Amino acid sequence: MNFRFPLSLILVGSCVVAITPAAQNPPAQQKSGVAAKAAAKKAPNESAEGEKRFETHCGRCHVPPEALSPREVKAVLRHMRVRANLTEEDQRLILKYLAP
Amino acid sequence: MLQRATWILMMVLFSGSALRAQSNVPIISGGVQFLSSTNGGVTTFQPLIAPVVAIPIGERWLVESRATFDEFIFRENGTSGPYHALTFSSMDYLQLDFLANRHVTITLGQFLTPFGIYNERVSPVWIRNIADPPLIAGIGTRTSGSSDGGMLRGVAIEKKDWQLQYTAYFAARSGTRQFNSGRTAGARVGVFVPGPRLEVGFSYQRFLQDLHLNSWGTYVVWQPSGAPLDVRAEYAHSRGGQGYWLEGAYRFSRSRDDSSWLGRLQAIGRVQQFYLGTPSPNDVLPGADTQQVELGLNYYLPHNVRLNASGGRQFSSLGNSNVWNLQITYRFLFPLIPGSAR
Repeated sequence: MNFRFPLSLILVGSCVVAITPAAQNPPAQQKSGVAAKAAAKKAPNESAEGEKRFETHCGRCHVPPEALSPREVKAVLRHMRVRANLTEEDQRLILKYLAP
Repeated sequence: MLQRATWILMMVLFSGSALRAQSNVPIISGGVQFLSSTNGGVTTFQPLIAPVVAIPIGERWLVESRATFDEFIFRENGTSGPYHALTFSSMDYLQLDFLANRHVTITLGQFLTPFGIYNERVSPVWIRNIADPPLIAGIGTRTSGSSDGGMLRGVAIEKKDWQLQYTAYFAARSGTRQFNSGRTAGARVGVFVPGPRLEVGFSYQRFLQDLHLNSWGTYVVWQPSGAPLDVRAEYAHSRGGQGYWLEGAYRFSRSRDDSSWLGRLQAIGRVQQFYLGTPSPNDVLPGADTQQVELGLNYYLPHNVRLNASGGRQFSSLGNSNVWNLQITYRFLFPLIPGSAR
C-alpha cells in the first residue's frame, strides 16, 4: 500500500495512542506543579528560593512541568543547565522546588 | 549518516541496565505540531515532530539531541489540483556536554549555532509565538543553523543582582547531509539581571569558508516580574543585509497557572524590517527590502497543548502579501525507558 502522507499518519496514530488512558503515567508517578508547590511549603527556605529561581529562569519560557518524577526532574535540569545557562546553584535549588 | 547516528544512539539507549541503575534517567521530550499556513493565497499544511533526547551520564556528562521530522503538504498548482507531500528529516543537534565546573560547560559535536536568541532559544515549535522565523534568522546561522565542533559556555560571573553569561565556539566545515555545517568561529556574551528579568547581549561570528564574512548582532529579552509581559527583540547585521524584529506577548493573567478562559489567552505582536545589503551565495535572506507586521493569539489548553493563530502582512518591492498561520502544538516529556523514572 502506498501512503501519500506517511508522517501525518504516524502523528495521528501517535496522538491516538497518547490520549488513551493506558498511555498516561500512573497517578503515583505524577508530580504536578501544584504538588510541587505544596511540597515546597515543607522545606520553606531552599524550596522557596528554588521556586523564585524557577520563575526567574525557567518561567521565562514555560510553566512548571505537569507530570515529572524526581529522577526525570534531575535529567531535565541537567539538560536545561546547558540550554538555559543555569548555574550549579540554580540547578540545585530548582531541584529542591520541583522534587523536594 | 543519520542511520549511523541512530545506531549509536540506540546502542547507548539499550545499554539499559547501566542507565536504569543511575539516579538520572534518560528522557525524551519535544513537540508535535500541525501547522496550516497561507501565504499570498497559497495554503500549505505541515505536520511536524521534533523529539529531544537527553541522556545524563554520571554526575557531569550529558548526551543530548534534537531531530525534526516534518512533512510539507501542498496542492499541485498552488491553489488547485491534487495534494502532494514531501517528507523531510534533519538532525538539529547531537552533542556531548561536560559540566567542567560552575563556570564552564564544554560541548562537543553538533550544536545549534549560538547567534542571537532566535536560533538557539526561541525556534523550538513549543516556544515560538509566531510560526514563521524572523526575516533576519539567516544572519549568523549559515549554513544550516547548526555547527559541528566545540563550544564553551556558562556563567562567567555570578552576582546576586546580575550574571555574565557567555558562549564561544569553533565549527568545522561539513557537507554531510544530516550534519551540514559551515567553518565558523563566534561568541555571544549576555548580561542577565534577575530582578527585572532583563537580558541584554551581543553576538559575533566570523564565517571562515569561501567568503570570509563578519556577522554581528544584539538582543534584549525582558519579562517584567510585575506584569505578564514578554518582550524580545533582536538586531543583526551582515554583508548580506541587516534588520531587526521586535516581539511582544501579553498574557491576560498575572499567573501562568490561571485556568480561566481569559487567563489562558495571550496576545502577540511582532514587527520586523530587513534592509538588503550585498547578497552572497547561499544567503537565506529576503531578496529585497522587506517590512512585516503580524498579530496573533496563543490559547494555552491543559496538558501542554497550545493553539495559535496569527496573521500579518509583508511589504516588499517583490510584492506585498498576507501571511496567515494556524497551529496546534503539543509539548511532551516521557522517560526514554518505560518504568525507569520510578
